[in-house]
Amino acid sequence: MYRIWQIFDPRRTLVALFAFLFVLALLIHFILLSTARYNWLEGPVPVQAAPAAQMAPLPPATTQ
Amino acid sequence: MADYKESLSGLTEEEAKEFHGIFVSSFLAFTAIAVVAHILVWMWRPWL
Repeated sequence: MYRIWQIFDPRRTLVALFAFLFVLALLIHFILLSTARYNWLEGPVPVQAAPAAQMAPLPPATTQ
Repeated sequence: MADYKESLSGLTEEEAKEFHGIFVSSFLAFTAIAVVAHILVWMWRPWL
């Protein structure tokens, strides 16, 4: 197995691996922050019921 | 030059062995940290 380092340059491999892991970690952390359950900064955000006034149908149009 | 063993990366067999040892131990340490982090998150809020 160690012979892989005679094929792939260790320096380039490490740079690529660290870059990949960093981007992956950033992606996962932002995905978790965007959820309500796993956002560790804002805490769980309760689902707010929309105020009835905002959901009420428009009054019938009046003709003049 | 007949006894010179060419490698694509330029590493000798000894160098490759040495680097591989460091790489494997680092990978195991990274994995252990990740496992601990996942256990802590599971205790906080399990996802299944």
